[in-house]
Amino acid sequence: MLELKTLESDETNLRLLVTGVDTPYINAIRRIVLTEVPCMAIDEVVIIENSSVLHDEIIAHRLGLIPIKTDLDGYNLPEECSCRSEFGCNLCRVTFTLDREAKDEPVTVYSGDLVSENPNIAPVSDKIPIVKLGRGQKLKLEAYARLGRGKNHAKWQPVSLSAHKHLPKIRIDAEKCNACGKCVETCPRKVLAKSKGKVEVVDLYACTMCRDCVDACPEEPSAIEVNWEKNAFIFILESTGALPPERIITEAVKILDRQLKEFTDQIAEVQKA
Amino acid sequence: MKIKVLKRTENELKIEVEGAGHTLCNLLQKKLLENENVDVAGYDIPHPLTSNPIIYVRTKSPLKPEDALLDAVERAKEMNKEFGEALKRLLQA
Ligand code: SF4
Ligand code: SF4
Ligand SMILES: [Zn+2]
Repeated sequence: MLELKTLESDETNLRLLVTGVDTPYINAIRRIVLTEVPCMAIDEVVIIENSSVLHDEIIAHRLGLIPIKTDLDGYNLPEECSCRSEFGCNLCRVTFTLDREAKDEPVTVYSGDLVSENPNIAPVSDKIPIVKLGRGQKLKLEAYARLGRGKNHAKWQPVSLSAHKHLPKIRIDAEKCNACGKCVETCPRKVLAKSKGKVEVVDLYACTMCRDCVDACPEEPSAIEVNWEKNAFIFILESTGALPPERIITEAVKILDRQLKEFTDQIAEVQKA
Repeated sequence: MKIKVLKRTENELKIEVEGAGHTLCNLLQKKLLENENVDVAGYDIPHPLTSNPIIYVRTKSPLKPEDALLDAVERAKEMNKEFGEALKRLLQA
């Protein structure tokens, strides 16, 4: 029976306990989150004036890496947009402008200085430095953000982390354990605790399965055993802020479904041939 | 996605899958191997950047390799559907 439980959830983080799936499946979801779920990033920059110390290319690269709040429903991927234009249209492109000048004092140009044509599509944070301008220097440019996929460039990855690990299984043999507390001291993740002359697991999800506790146990064989559940995983997803984490994982499921359908159709073609 | 047949006999199928990668192939390979009438199931990506994956399936008669693949996809779909539904329930709660 497939079951999901939220272990942690906020604006950018999602930690789920997933039971009842196998490794290839959870791995497919993990990979799709990284490489297939689209998000927006600046892809083309027209530099009108740049007298800063950084080259145009470096500024363009820095702009590309700024995470941008994405509207997946309002915009099309360039390759799926009906405009078929290399430069894009209103449905597959968002224009940003930036115009800063340092007059008497040096200034730092931040991501917040980018002015978007659509107020809903803006940098996730206003505080990302782009370049520092010295007195008399100027930066003026137009930047175009488009949807893309992480497999083409990491700037289109909606997450900074997508990972899964097995759910640990820790067994303490009450008969053999003399409650010396060595394992509690050794554990780097404070998974174990001693209470009332007994050792207990207090934070199972934090366990990294390093097995230091097993080695530390003076009993022979060790009174503590660390293993993992076969079909239970902790899935961790950390969004860059481009999309809510719930949306990212929901999209991943949709994309996998579409890919599997396409595969079925293709096999049907083979059968006909 | 586009499938090109490289070899096809009664019990063998070798296909090149344009537009797929480890994500899908690994999932399908493992699902194929769950079927006890599948003799061999494997995939290879000859070059990490420039090649499409090649999937190879060999089955025991009377199972046809195409049917084995369809069955594998079906089970992957089933798992994905269950996961999607569980996710929906979780997010609505
Ligand atoms: S395996 Fe490592 S992290 Fe887990 S309980 Fe033992 S010492 Fe702690
Ligand atoms: S180290 Fe071994 S004997 Fe000591 S408390 Fe831990 S499990 Fe028990
Ligand atoms: Zn367009």
